Amino acid sequence: MGEAAERFVVEGLVEQTSAGPRLIGSRCRGCGTFYFPQKASCPNPACTDKAPVAALLPDQGTLYSYTLQRYQPPPLFRMDGWEPYLLGLVDLGEGLQVMGMLTGVKEQEVRIGMTLRLVTEPLYCDDDGTAVLTYKFTPAGTAL
Amino acid sequence: MRPVYALGAGAHPWGKWPEKPQLQLALEAMSAALADAGIVWAEVQGLVAASSRFEGGMGWGLHANEVVQAVAEQGIPCINVGGACAAGAIALQTAHALVASGQYDVVAALGAERMPKGFIPRPPGSADDRSDNDFLRWVAMGATNPAYWAIEARRRQHEHGTSERTLAQASALMRRNAGGNRLARYRDPISEEDVLASPMVADPLHLLQICPVSDGAAAVILGSEDYVRRSGKAAVRVAGCAVGSGQFGDPARRIPTISSTVRDGVAHTSEVTGAVRAAFELAGIGPEDVDLLEMADNSAWHILAWPELFGFYEPGQGDWMLEQGKLAIGGELAINPSGGFLSFGEATTAQALLQVSEVLWQLRGEAHGHQVPEAKVGMTAVLGLGANGGSVILTR
Ligand SMILES: [Zn+2]
Repeated sequence: MGEAAERFVVEGLVEQTSAGPRLIGSRCRGCGTFYFPQKASCPNPACTDKAPVAALLPDQGTLYSYTLQRYQPPPLFRMDGWEPYLLGLVDLGEGLQVMGMLTGVKEQEVRIGMTLRLVTEPLYCDDDGTAVLTYKFTPAGTAL
Repeated sequence: MRPVYALGAGAHPWGKWPEKPQLQLALEAMSAALADAGIVWAEVQGLVAASSRFEGGMGWGLHANEVVQAVAEQGIPCINVGGACAAGAIALQTAHALVASGQYDVVAALGAERMPKGFIPRPPGSADDRSDNDFLRWVAMGATNPAYWAIEARRRQHEHGTSERTLAQASALMRRNAGGNRLARYRDPISEEDVLASPMVADPLHLLQICPVSDGAAAVILGSEDYVRRSGKAAVRVAGCAVGSGQFGDPARRIPTISSTVRDGVAHTSEVTGAVRAAFELAGIGPEDVDLLEMADNSAWHILAWPELFGFYEPGQGDWMLEQGKLAIGGELAINPSGGFLSFGEATTAQALLQVSEVLWQLRGEAHGHQVPEAKVGMTAVLGLGANGGSVILTR
């Protein structure tokens, strides 16, 4: 039996390392600024080099704010067994805040400032059975 | 720059108008504006239109050309400007520059929009990969526009202790203001309880705390001092007028991006705060001089946060100002006496010109049913996709 086929919702967002998933962003060699997702150039007006290179971002951060998405987004978004879900804004340090779905935490347990770590989870199964993954954040210390 | 005056304004009421094409809404707004200014089409020396993505414009955003080809083939320059929800402000800025330069004496700025039903589809030609933020936000997390505003509102609750009731009060105030405005789409009063009983969309924002979309059109005619004298109307001057784009390091949750690169000391919603600051500088006045502010209230959060960002009062003070009635008509700073986006529904490219129209009528004392007493100085502020901001100050 072969491994179940998997892919990400978009290529180039996440790298699976031996120590777990990491978001792929950019770091500008000129000014040191981090970006997510990868950028073609650097919008910092003080930067003269404008030389972003791919960089793995920190896999932990703190929750800056969140909401509960109560109604189903338009069809470009796919999710098997749709139900309302938490969306968070996570401060990864390095001046970078990233939005993503939260998992493994109930609305009444969410606290601004809580430590979260990056995970990947299937959102839906394609027609050919491929599991389509996205990145999410979950409370640090939770096994998933 | 020579002084520029607002000669007149006109608008088609906001609503859903399935029987009227976008061009028809535009023509009706222009006719009303010409009548208000007391001039005829033959006197108009230039037309600047906010380009719509949804209807008309021959596929190239040529909305000004369509209007003159329909009613006034007189060789005048037709300028069409993009700026999404801020396009009306960019049209006004352009018209202002044409008159201020001395090249033309009478120039009109126009925005007319019929919004599509349901979710706004992605534009053709967008790439289905990680280079397109509007693709990413949907496929990776399904982040709707209200979710962005809700994340801001939740953070405000955390930082300033803003209550659900105060957020509800913001919507109730907008509806109360709209009650006297025949151009507004939603005019029935709503209580805080009504707001809190409406379905939760993205916590903490309920349905009645998020602006819907509408069809509407508005036009403003600008002119030289000679023209305003001749019109016999009160001389309302465009004292400040500015557009801007975003600053690097802005902490705002900018739709449709899925991340922010944040730098200390950079203003939140910098495209708008920058335009506001520039408009204040041009007018040589400050927040303490302003009697009314017409601002883009895409959500109840905006009513509380934006005036603070513009320097009207300290961060967090908006809750108290609202609770004490200081933001109502007759209060210290009337916010959206028109009823705002929450009562109009957003007709994207027309919205900023409706704001300027409202301020003009307020300063003339003609805002029947929702008049701010003794209004002498009014300001607008609007935000558009692509980090576009615009602000206009009218003085009497
Ligand atoms: Zn750089």
